[in-house]
Amino acid sequence: MYLAPEGDEIEIANAAAEFLADAMPIERLHGHDPADLNSSLLKLLGDMGWFALAVPEAAGGSGLSAVEHALFFRECGRQCAPVDLLAQCLAANVIADAERRAAVISGQVGVALMVSDGEVWRIFGAGEAEYALFVSPDEARLYSLAGTVSELRPALDPANSIRLLTELPAPVETLAGNRAWQLGQLGTAAMLVGLAEASLDLIVEYAKVRETFGRKIGSWQAVRHPCADMAVRVEAARSELWYAATALKEGRSDAEVHLDAAKHLANQAAHANADTSIQLHGGIGVTDEHNAHLHLKHAMLLSRLFGSKRSLLARLLNARLED
Amino acid sequence: MDLHFSEADREFRARAREWLTANVPTAHRPAHGPQAAQFDRDWQRKMYDHGWAGVAWPKDFGGLGLSGLQQVIWYEELARARAPHYINTTYISLMHAGPTVIARGTDEQKAFHLPRILSGESLWCQGFSEPNAGSDLASLRTRGVIDGDHIVVTGSKMWTTDAQHADYQELLIRTDPASERHKGLTWVICDMKAPGIDIKPIRTMLQDEHVNMVFYDEVRIPISNVVGEVGKGWSTALATLSFERGLGFIGDQLELYERVCRAIDLAETVRMEDGRRAIEDDGIAQRLASIKADTIAIRSMTLADIAETDRTGEPGPKGSMMKLMVTSTHKALSEVVGEILGWSFLEFDGDRTAHPWTYDYLWSWIFSISGGTNEIQREITADRILELPRGR
Repeated sequence: MYLAPEGDEIEIANAAAEFLADAMPIERLHGHDPADLNSSLLKLLGDMGWFALAVPEAAGGSGLSAVEHALFFRECGRQCAPVDLLAQCLAANVIADAERRAAVISGQVGVALMVSDGEVWRIFGAGEAEYALFVSPDEARLYSLAGTVSELRPALDPANSIRLLTELPAPVETLAGNRAWQLGQLGTAAMLVGLAEASLDLIVEYAKVRETFGRKIGSWQAVRHPCADMAVRVEAARSELWYAATALKEGRSDAEVHLDAAKHLANQAAHANADTSIQLHGGIGVTDEHNAHLHLKHAMLLSRLFGSKRSLLARLLNARLED
Repeated sequence: MDLHFSEADREFRARAREWLTANVPTAHRPAHGPQAAQFDRDWQRKMYDHGWAGVAWPKDFGGLGLSGLQQVIWYEELARARAPHYINTTYISLMHAGPTVIARGTDEQKAFHLPRILSGESLWCQGFSEPNAGSDLASLRTRGVIDGDHIVVTGSKMWTTDAQHADYQELLIRTDPASERHKGLTWVICDMKAPGIDIKPIRTMLQDEHVNMVFYDEVRIPISNVVGEVGKGWSTALATLSFERGLGFIGDQLELYERVCRAIDLAETVRMEDGRRAIEDDGIAQRLASIKADTIAIRSMTLADIAETDRTGEPGPKGSMMKLMVTSTHKALSEVVGEILGWSFLEFDGDRTAHPWTYDYLWSWIFSISGGTNEIQREITADRILELPRGR
C-alpha cells in the first residue's frame, strides 16, 4: 500500500511538468490565437509519446498504466491544457484500426472531444482536427469530421474553441466498453486536481509578498484560513485521485466508485479553489491579464465532462466499496 | 503507488474480524457514571486477556506493535463489528499517557503504569487546558513548587474529560515561577486520589458531565513522577499531542464511511411529511452522496498518510488537514440526518446508544473544538504546510 508518486512515477511527472511548462504554458492563453492543439503541438506531443502512456506496447504505446495517465494529466491541468489533448489520448487507447491508431498516437491527425446535450453536438478542439471522439460510460464513438459543417461559437474558456455540429455523420468506429470513459474520468479528475493545486499555489505565492495595512496579507487570518481550507480540498481530492488511478490500474472491482468519487472531489476542489483564489487576490484577481480566472473557466469546462455533479452523485449514492 | 495489503495484513484482518464478531459486547454501554467507566474497563480487560490491547504500542511494552496499515484494518473491523466506540474513558490512557510514558518515561514509570493501562486497571485524564489557557496552551499558570523530593501543585485545570473516573492525570504545570510561555513547564503524573484535588463537573450541551474543572490546593506529587525533565515539560507535551494528531482519530476517519451508508439506509425507510421516502428527495440524496464521496476520500487520505508514515517512521504534518476534513464531514452528515429524522431528531436525553444521531450532531462541536480547535488547525496548516508569514 502506497498512495503517492514514487520512483519512476516521479520521473514521469517531472518530465511532463517540464515539457508542458515549455510547450504549452498557461501564459499562452493571454494571446489571441485559439489555444487548441495545433499541428505542430500535435506532432511534438506525439513525438514525445505523451498520447499513449497507458496504451499497451503491442498496440504502439508505452505500456504504462492509469497511474502515469493521471500523473500526466495532473500536470496538464496546472497549465490549463486543452481537452482535445485528452480526446487524442483516449482515442489512442481505444481505436481498433491499427493504422488509424498509429496516426493518432504519433500526432499526424488530430482528435477533438465531442459532447452532446441530447440536441446539439459540441466540439472542443482545433478546426483542423480530422476526428471527433464521443465517449459515454459504455462506449466510445469516433467520427470523421471531413466534409462536416460546423459553426464556431464564442468560448468562455480560452483553452479550447467550441463549435456546433449540425449534422452528425455515421461513426467510423464504435468501441464498446468503458475504457475510454474511465480514462476520461481519471484524466479530467487529474486535470482538476492540478487546477486546484495551481489556484492554491497562485494565492499562497501572492499572500507572501502582497502587503496591506503594513503586513503581508498571508499573515491575516482572513486570508490564512481560507488558504488552509484550499489545502484541505487539494489533499482530499489528490488522495482520492491516487486511489482511483491505482484501483483502475489494479483492476479492482470498486475502481468505478473511486473514479466517481475522485471526479466529484476534484470538481469541487478546482471550482472552490479557483473561486477563493480570485476573491483573496482582490482587484487584481478579476483582471484579464491574471491567471486566476483562467483556472475558474477551465474548471467550469472540466467539471461538466465525464460526469457532471448530478450524474456522479446519483451513481455514488448506492455504490459500495470493496474491503 | 499500489493498494496491496500483504498476506500478513489480510491474515490479521481475518483474525480480528473473527474475534470481534464473537466478542463485541452486546449490552448497551451506560451513558453516564461509574458504570460507564466500568463498562469501558471490562471491554479493555477482555481485549487485554485475548491479546488485542495496545494496537499502536510497541511489542516491548506489551502492545501489538502493529504497523499503521494494520491499525487501519483494526479500526475498520471495530467499526464493522459495531464495537464500543474507542473514544471512551480509556482514550487518554491508551492514546496519550501510555505512548508518552513509553517515549519519555523512566523504567520504573513504564513498569508500573503500562501494564495497568493496557489491562484497563488504570484510567487516565488530561490536565493541560486551563480557564485562561486553551488554544493558547503555553500561557498556563497552574504552579508547581519544588519542595524536597516533591512538587507542590496549586491552581486549576479545565475541560478535563472523565476526571471523575481517572486514576491518574497527565498534568502540565509551571515549575519555574519566573518563566514564560513554553519554558519552565513540567509534565508530571498526578495521582487523582491525592489530597487537595477537587473535581467539579461541567455540564455540556450534550446533557452529560464528562468534562470537569479540577482544582489543586497544595497537592504533593513525588518528583519521581516527572516524565521527561523538570522545566522541559513543553517538549514532553508536544510528544503527547503528536500521538493524537498522528493516529488519534483514525477510527473516526474510517468509521464515517460506514456511518454515511447507515444514513442512506435510514433515508430509504424514513417517510417525510409528503409521504415520500427521504431518499426520493433530490436535495437529501445529493447531500448524502456528496458526503459519501467525502468519506471515501477521507479513507484514501488516511491510507495515503499512514502508508507515508509507515515508510518514513515519523508522522507527517498533515494531521491538522485531516482533522479539518473529518470534522466538517461529520457535521454535514449529522445535519442531513437531522433533516431525515424530522421530529424524532428532537428526542434526546444524553444517551448516545439510544439517540446516536442527535448525540453525534451535538458532538460535532466537541469534535471541532477539542484537541485543537478548527481555527488552530487552520493556523497550523497555514504555518507548516503553506508556510505563510505568521501574524503572531
